[in-house]
Amino acid sequence: MKRIRFSALAWLALSPLLAVSVFPFVVMLTTALKPLAEVFVYPTHWLPQHPSLEGFTEMWKATRFALALRNSLEIAFESTLATLAVAVPAAYAVARMQFRLRPPYRQFLLVTQMLSPILLVLGLYRLMGMIPFGDGKLLDTRLAIIIPYAGFQMAFSVWMLSSYFAAIPAAIEEAAWIDGCTRLRAIVSIFLPLALPAIAVTGLVAFVAAWNEFALALTLLRDPDRQTVTIQVVNLVAGRYSVEWNQVMAATLVATVPVGIMFTWLQRYLVRGLTFGAIQ
Amino acid sequence: MAARRPTVIGVLPFPVLVMIAPSLLLAAFVILYPLWEILRLSVHEISRFGLVRGFVGWDNFTAVLADPSFRASLWRTLVWTGAVVGGTLVVSVPTAVILNMDFAGRGLARAVVMLPWSVSLSMASIVWLWSFNADYGLINTLLQSLGLIARGVPWMARPETAFPIEIAIGVIVSIPFTTTILLGGLSSIPGDIYEAARIDGAGPWLQFRALTLPLLRSFINIAVVLNIIHVFNSFPIIWIMTQGGPDDGTHILITYLYDLAFRLGKPGPAAAISLIMLAILFVFTFLYLRLQPKDAN
Repeated sequence: MKRIRFSALAWLALSPLLAVSVFPFVVMLTTALKPLAEVFVYPTHWLPQHPSLEGFTEMWKATRFALALRNSLEIAFESTLATLAVAVPAAYAVARMQFRLRPPYRQFLLVTQMLSPILLVLGLYRLMGMIPFGDGKLLDTRLAIIIPYAGFQMAFSVWMLSSYFAAIPAAIEEAAWIDGCTRLRAIVSIFLPLALPAIAVTGLVAFVAAWNEFALALTLLRDPDRQTVTIQVVNLVAGRYSVEWNQVMAATLVATVPVGIMFTWLQRYLVRGLTFGAIQ
Repeated sequence: MAARRPTVIGVLPFPVLVMIAPSLLLAAFVILYPLWEILRLSVHEISRFGLVRGFVGWDNFTAVLADPSFRASLWRTLVWTGAVVGGTLVVSVPTAVILNMDFAGRGLARAVVMLPWSVSLSMASIVWLWSFNADYGLINTLLQSLGLIARGVPWMARPETAFPIEIAIGVIVSIPFTTTILLGGLSSIPGDIYEAARIDGAGPWLQFRALTLPLLRSFINIAVVLNIIHVFNSFPIIWIMTQGGPDDGTHILITYLYDLAFRLGKPGPAAAISLIMLAILFVFTFLYLRLQPKDAN
């Protein structure tokens, strides 16, 4: 009896926060399922009176959503690969090797983590506009966004990976050396298979970060054919006189749900990486 | 744990150099060069089209410091950062304490509290923007059906309402991360000290004040510092909901700098603001590291 009362009190205390957390999802879903005529009815109904998928189909055509999805997928996937290619060896060095410059190197990672790309966006924009690439400049190409994504995701990835790598017993590799394995071979055939789950989790974090990123994509990808889902959805709203909100909410749902599910699963690992440097 | 022999010794042995060099090069490319470029822009006169004209020394900085919009944005940045970080903490500490207790349906409650984390800032901003729509938004519908307002309020049309709403959304999106860190801290507190406190006659409030808060302190510190850095630089919420308007009334430094650089064609002053923001961040971090008790590590 006491437990029931206590549980009810706990839920009651949490209820305002729970309501605020659920509210955006209710808004997204109900608006996305309304036909346009019903979106602009006064007074507004909470639930769609005649649910329809009009919002999804119209949005798909109006925004060339398939193209934007492809851009987002390519950019997120390639920047994840670039991040891992740089972060995995560095994390191995931090976790396994003793060198005197290790503390300053870790400090350096901390500092890069502190610098938000948006603070440097003006410099990045000019950098990408300066470097020749193909027929024009690096600006407005996939590479222009992949490089900064990898650069700003790197520090966090090295941190997170090295905390996991340090937990893999070094004795297994050392045993392989004794058996005549070269160092590199021990890494490839013994260490990497054990490290794969950690690498996968770190890669997913990088993927979600690239998928969700806004400021750099807004600045470095001006060509509508190159823009990501995030930018396309924002463009449905920004600076428009009339906004078809059922389409916008359909688009936010499509942009949010797959990555949201992935991210929900990732949260527990994420915090370990985020707090690694601070708590140890 | 048994002492392990160091596998490589030296200042920066060659294998280590090979392994960390790509990360150093990448960071130099995306950080050092842009930083250098911003430094250069900040002391030159720059045309609308980004051509570097003449050296002007401190002129961009003095112009920025004399600009009333900059001063207003600086003040608003302090309010924004303080209110979002403070508000987040005020909500997250009790939330974490409750979620750490044993009650029916706790797993579900935790999952729901973490929900906002799964939506990107830009998508969340769009959904809230629509929710606060003056004519058809569900917030007005809700308040009207509760009889709290007579007709739809144009929330985003005035800075006096738009900015507090943006702060509230900043708080909402920061709660999951902060609560998670605090939950990590709470789970590391052994339960038997509460037992002992109860036997000594300490009530729930005294237990919270004398046991939970002090033991949670280092976790609160980490959450606050990470939140301050993050919120100070936070761009999407304000840019998507009001673009700093109406009448520049919701600009914080980061949105004002973006506005100057990419809409008003003033890269020189924008670069100066970037550097001022960097200086603020460094001073903050330095002070934080100095104020940290030495035994924290």
